[in-house]
Amino acid sequence: MSEYISNISMILSKYWDVFFITGVGYTLLLALITVVFGALLGLIFCLGRMSRVKVLNWIVVAIVEVVRGTPMLLQLYVGYLLVPKVLPFTVTEFQSIAVALIINSAAYVSEVFRSGIQAVDKGQSEAARSLGLSASQTMLKIVIPQAVKNIIPALGNEFITITKDTSLASTFFVGELMTSYLKVRGATYLTMECLFIVGAIYFVLTFILSKCMNAFERRLKAND
Amino acid sequence: MIKTVGLTKSFEIKGKKESLQVLRGVDEEIKKGEVVSIIGPSGGGKSTFLRCLNLLEVPDSGSIFFEGVDITKPGVNIDEHRQKMGMVFQHFNVFPHLSVRENITLAPTLLKKKTLEEANEMADQLLERVGLLDKAAEHPNRLSGGQKQRLAIVRALAMEPDVMLFDEPTSALDPEMVGEVLDVIKGLVKDGMTCVIVTHEMGFAREVSSRILFMDGGIIAESGTPTELLEHPQNPRTQEFLSKVL
Repeated sequence: MSEYISNISMILSKYWDVFFITGVGYTLLLALITVVFGALLGLIFCLGRMSRVKVLNWIVVAIVEVVRGTPMLLQLYVGYLLVPKVLPFTVTEFQSIAVALIINSAAYVSEVFRSGIQAVDKGQSEAARSLGLSASQTMLKIVIPQAVKNIIPALGNEFITITKDTSLASTFFVGELMTSYLKVRGATYLTMECLFIVGAIYFVLTFILSKCMNAFERRLKAND
Repeated sequence: MIKTVGLTKSFEIKGKKESLQVLRGVDEEIKKGEVVSIIGPSGGGKSTFLRCLNLLEVPDSGSIFFEGVDITKPGVNIDEHRQKMGMVFQHFNVFPHLSVRENITLAPTLLKKKTLEEANEMADQLLERVGLLDKAAEHPNRLSGGQKQRLAIVRALAMEPDVMLFDEPTSALDPEMVGEVLDVIKGLVKDGMTCVIVTHEMGFAREVSSRILFMDGGIIAESGTPTELLEHPQNPRTQEFLSKVL
């Protein structure tokens, strides 16, 4: 036991920058990029899903079903191999993986948006329309402000899930926290110790995120 | 003021091939200053007819003339006409994310009928009229059902409509709150507002209506003054219905 502890402190003192600067930094960067662009793309997907144009509905449904029905690791492989070929400019491996993560996240988030909007009582939009508000005014002033309260908690969970899911990107050695684990393990051959360190960091990250989300939700509820 | 010609409407039922026909050709004219109550058994088409008047339900066929314009014609800006038709719902449908005052000022300010200052002033006058001025800054979840419905009524009045449509305005209320809402409607009637009211409150219908429509099976089966319709019903179905509810 004491051997583990001394090994861990040795690894931390020697490789702390690999874990905490490169690892945590890239993990958070990747998660943040994914959530922000995933939410934006998810909003576009959601609009397509709810649009009156049937073709757009079908396209979005197809994307969502494929993303939900295939493993994320497979999606990352496809992104890693396909994105550099499709795009006309050169992209880094990190960027290719980010694109795959964004599309994955957007598919899930679009469903979060859709169910949040549909959970708003139909009577609300009927009341707004009966006052003479247009469909878009009703959406902006009545439906979306109420839908946000349904959406925020689920979006927070998505952020936490994505933070953990970025670890799959280590398969492609893009430099996030799990890649740090692979590097340090390769240098020290101390598997358990490295796993423990990385696990503790992931836990602290997601724990802080979930506490922040709870506080944010409480503030939203206080306004009710 | 409102005239319907041959309105029909059917709803598709999930899992069944044939659809349910709710309106089977409704011809009716509601004149300015009239107070028309619609009574009848549930499923008779009362609410659907009322909701067709401001196109919350789009009829399958037939026309609706509002102030001389056929609002069922394509290209008609229904939003403009709805501003002139206030509607009050069974389940209030007040906006929970806005304060009581904002519930009233939202539509007039958004639709550029009033500046925020004018709208606030009018909101306070309306709230005072229905005894809710002390709640102006609160959110609607602090209100009782009766208070919510009174708010919903003045929210519709803030658009200064020419006609008010009431869809079972007291059906979702606790019995002790029915009176306060009916009193507000009576006040409107006294001021000469044209009203169309779907209701189960027979005593109220008798008191305020200039005319009562009895709807059953998707048509207006009988129509007349309260005395004619409630005391001397001619149609056997009206007689049967009234014998059950009176």
